[in-house]
Amino acid sequence: MSVVVIEHLARVEGHGGITVELEGDTVANVRFDVFEGARLLEPLIRGKSYDEVAPTLSRICSICSVAHTLTSLKATEDAFDVHVSPQTELLRELLFRGESIESHALHLFLLAAPDYLDYPSAIAMAADKPAAVLLGLRMKKLGNLIQETIGGRAIHPVNAVPGGFGKPPTVDQLIELRSGLTQGMADSDAAIDVMASLPAADFCHSDTVYAALRSPNLDSYYSGDEVMAVSDGNRAIVHAADYRSLTNEQSLPHSHAKHSNFRGKPFMVGSLARLTVNPRRLTGRLAVAMKRLKFQLPADNPMDNNKAQALELISDVERALEIIEQLLRAGVKDERPVPIHPKAGTGTAITEAPRGMLIHSYTYDANGCIVAADVITPTALNAASMELHFRRAVEQCAEREEAVISKRLQMIARAYDPCISCSVHILRRR
Amino acid sequence: MSKPTVGIFGLTGCAGDQLAILNCEDQLLDLVALIDIREFLMASSENDTECTLDVALVEGAVVSEKDAARLRVIRKRSKALVALGTCAVWGGVAAMDRGVDRKKLIEEVYGPTGLGYDSIPTQALREVVKVDLNITGCPIEKEHFLAAIANLLNGNAPAYPQYPVCTECRMLENNCMLVERGEPCCGPITAAGCEARCPSLRVACVGCRGPATDFNVPALVTMLADKGFDRQRIAARLRTFAPVEVA
Repeated sequence: MSVVVIEHLARVEGHGGITVELEGDTVANVRFDVFEGARLLEPLIRGKSYDEVAPTLSRICSICSVAHTLTSLKATEDAFDVHVSPQTELLRELLFRGESIESHALHLFLLAAPDYLDYPSAIAMAADKPAAVLLGLRMKKLGNLIQETIGGRAIHPVNAVPGGFGKPPTVDQLIELRSGLTQGMADSDAAIDVMASLPAADFCHSDTVYAALRSPNLDSYYSGDEVMAVSDGNRAIVHAADYRSLTNEQSLPHSHAKHSNFRGKPFMVGSLARLTVNPRRLTGRLAVAMKRLKFQLPADNPMDNNKAQALELISDVERALEIIEQLLRAGVKDERPVPIHPKAGTGTAITEAPRGMLIHSYTYDANGCIVAADVITPTALNAASMELHFRRAVEQCAEREEAVISKRLQMIARAYDPCISCSVHILRRR
Repeated sequence: MSKPTVGIFGLTGCAGDQLAILNCEDQLLDLVALIDIREFLMASSENDTECTLDVALVEGAVVSEKDAARLRVIRKRSKALVALGTCAVWGGVAAMDRGVDRKKLIEEVYGPTGLGYDSIPTQALREVVKVDLNITGCPIEKEHFLAAIANLLNGNAPAYPQYPVCTECRMLENNCMLVERGEPCCGPITAAGCEARCPSLRVACVGCRGPATDFNVPALVTMLADKGFDRQRIAARLRTFAPVEVA
């Protein structure tokens, strides 16, 4: 038996590895090893007051800290039957878009692109391809500017609180964001050029189940409470309150992340899943960009998640601009958060973090203190699907040279844009 | 002069301090021209894991034997070791485990499988190895990181505020969250350096930078108790980011 081991996966957030065991030409075993230390945040926050939950659980992950914060607030508000203002809804969606732009730009240009062009890092790539790296940094900075302006800080936002925002942005701040986003429109087109110029990554094909938040009207990372799973033209809908039927989790000895299946099959979440579940978004500039990327749905290649992220850079910038126009038209009110009246009960929220569906579910006592918290992250949801795609890639690789297999496995792992610190956060016991 | 060799490492945490470094979009490419980054796993797949380092920047807390072993190796390789962020400096949110039965929690979360996991009580870096410089913050302010590198290049030791958030908040003439609004603000005991970011947005400080040097916990606890907050809630709030003694 031979074994391919990637001990410590580079250019991803957190600590993980990959192990593949081959018996002759047959793939015997595939593991996505997660050895990120367990911080046990969900049990440790028991007893905390509702206003401290989001700032604490935000610390699960820096790159998804907006998603964790806003999903946390949405779950808490669901538990207490709080309805936030339309302005707050818009600002939260805008904040989500800022995080998505930052995260996708970081992932595509600084973490994933060097693989396609055989560089060890974006820093090394910058010596030969400064324009691509500078473009990535500029888009990343734009995402951060949105997060700083709306959330108060680029990492672990402080301004989003139960019921709304500490201090909404001023008109001047929104106008400044608008001019940044106008440049972002051109940059997101340039991002498509860069992605289209990369060599094809065509070494893993697989039937895949996709799952994402189903958007009620406009596409949203934040509103909505239904998940749609799509497989081979079949669709199934799961309501937020029944999220447990979607996450049939198991603890495994090799991983501090639990694994999820939907009706017995692994499923993929993230940009590619979002575009598959909400395909009506793919019009206008997106349709043109799709052609340039030779991107088609339904996709059977997990590497297409990178293309899907590039497409989302376009829609994120467009949506952010629309929201700002809408806020400026309506006039930004210096409103305070709506008052919170804690009560005993359970609240669940599902949103779309940059790397896929994120679920927070809390039970509170009558004083508004946490009795139980359950957090299910996109990387945990993706773990089983990643292993399936690792297996397919090795099966479909004609060569048995370790370096070739290893590189393909790493590229697939990165295409999932995993957040390994996120993946270890699961409270519920099976 | 040859460029100083630097390693950037993450133990257990959210990677936010490494991300704060990558968020120096305007300085990043100039920075890598001035320092020689030999190991930075989050950003590069080509790392020299054995060379000696002039400076090691380490974020995250120690929550496993593996973390502790990695940290000891990093210490041996480095002339100077910098703790980056509240987790590295104080233990951070994971240090809410003080006085808790971790085994029981792990079994509760992961079931019997979890008992085989490598897991130890949370420690800050200085509880395991000698630390030469602490840069706190959750995450660190990127300006503090850049100042540290600039000082290092000039052979100086950077200095950071030792006073509490209140000092910065007063200078900004914010309304006091604690006195005027009656909210449980941790500003009086929390290290400044954030320009009173939260109170400036009408949000009470959660203490994410850890305690200031000269802090008076009993006075804050008494003030909060006078405002009608119960002691258990105050203790829980003050202990979120650092294991502060709340007697």
